[in-house]
Amino acid sequence: MAEDVVFVPVRRLGELIRERRLSPVAVAETFLDRLERLGPRYNAVVTVTRARALEQARRAEGEIAAGRYRGPLHGIPYGAKDLLATSGGIPTTWGAAPFKDRVFDFDATVVRKLEDAGAVLCAKLAMVELAGGMGYRQPNASFTGPGINPWNRDAWSGGSSSGSGSAVSAGLVPFAIGSETWGSILSPAGNCGIAGLRPTYGRVSRHGAMALCWTLDKLGPLALGADDCGLILEAIAGRDPADPTSADRPFRYDADGSRARRFRFGVLRGVTDGCEDAVRENFERSLETLGGIGTLEEVTLPDLPYDDITRTILFAEAASAFEDLIESGRIAELTAPEDHYMPYVRDTVLAKDYLKALRLRGVMAREADRVLARLDALVAPGRLTVAAMLGTEVRSAIRGTARDVMGAVGNGAGLPAVAVPNGFGARGLPTSLQFMGRAWEENTILAAARAYQSVTDWHERHPADP
Amino acid sequence: MSGTEASRSEVEALLALVRERYGSRLTAEELEAVRKGIEGVVEAAHALRAVRLDNADEPGQPFAPFRADG
Repeated sequence: MAEDVVFVPVRRLGELIRERRLSPVAVAETFLDRLERLGPRYNAVVTVTRARALEQARRAEGEIAAGRYRGPLHGIPYGAKDLLATSGGIPTTWGAAPFKDRVFDFDATVVRKLEDAGAVLCAKLAMVELAGGMGYRQPNASFTGPGINPWNRDAWSGGSSSGSGSAVSAGLVPFAIGSETWGSILSPAGNCGIAGLRPTYGRVSRHGAMALCWTLDKLGPLALGADDCGLILEAIAGRDPADPTSADRPFRYDADGSRARRFRFGVLRGVTDGCEDAVRENFERSLETLGGIGTLEEVTLPDLPYDDITRTILFAEAASAFEDLIESGRIAELTAPEDHYMPYVRDTVLAKDYLKALRLRGVMAREADRVLARLDALVAPGRLTVAAMLGTEVRSAIRGTARDVMGAVGNGAGLPAVAVPNGFGARGLPTSLQFMGRAWEENTILAAARAYQSVTDWHERHPADP
Repeated sequence: MSGTEASRSEVEALLALVRERYGSRLTAEELEAVRKGIEGVVEAAHALRAVRLDNADEPGQPFAPFRADG
């Protein structure tokens, strides 16, 4: 078998495993070998969980042989961003030096749900320290080093789910779990040329995940295509008593939802302002493609300080979530020099301004829903630029050095979005296209993304091994 | 006091808070970076304050009373 399972979508791998044409143990061995051999080349991995993976793979093999097939993730290897708690002595580091030896005695709900689905945990994946919550400005902001992009090893893989992006892109795992507070799934997916799904806030339990911002954090999949993201979301979604913000809205993935349907797409006026030329050109080409599967119309949102709303919420909640670390001065142990002092800025958000942002969030959510109600999705470039080069400053809406209305509204209002590759830009780096929908409409945006991927082949291109 | 002066004095007041609480840990260069960051916080706050809301406009994240099962 060797490496011929690499870059095979989860759906196909699952079929081969179900038909017993592939052994889950052999599949796990292949990806474990790649994680150990290639993971360090991308700074993608914190811990390879070989023992747990082989135990889970052997169990999957036995169950399938006995006719107890659990579903499309049974026997499929994956990696988890290292902010998800794992038991069994596997460290959970949050990408941060002060926590590099920390071990939990329980599994995050997402990890447990994936185990219930028969998936095989092969690695804890690298991330920007504390999911970027301290204000980092450049890629070297993790004790495991800067995330390296498989398409260009002088470029960043993205933040903050850097290892989740690069590991899937480089074929080290078939899928990964990442988290997004503002951009941390869509950004690495876009930078690395893969699909990334940010679910509706509350769709996936956050129990056992590092809290950066309680009202903004979401967990979601990164995979080779939008279809795989749907399969994975079905396994991890659902109400969890341990996370009171998780919603009692069962999610069944509708994999046939794009057949013979026309979509209604909206494009926010000015959404490409500030984009790199290649990003804009690829987006315009994507719009031509989308015109073949649906209608397009320009839409506007009322003039509100969207970036300021979401940024203020993020700053205030992050300052509180990491109060101990900030007040004790242990932020000085973080990797990025700017993370040693920029958190103090967040202490200065006044309570009344935070509450004003929360009240404006309600207005923003209603206005976004009013626009989205007559559309299937808003479409936009996944990012304004291709991946930053290592050693350079990263433009960021969170720090106010870039505008990101789609990200501010999408994250502030808790809306789902999926990013898929739509071409290449400077230095051979991927660009991406995002579809953002109404709350709880993951099936609609996934159907649109699948329809786009059915008439393009960007997702079938993969970087060569170094 | 003009809006700009108000912003400047607000930045200075908030910087004084940081200096009071954490000044011993910060170099002059770091304090200057913190000042720039606070300017962004104050700018955002002014943008938020400029939007009028109705009394009935509540925070988007509702509070829910808690009761353990049983």
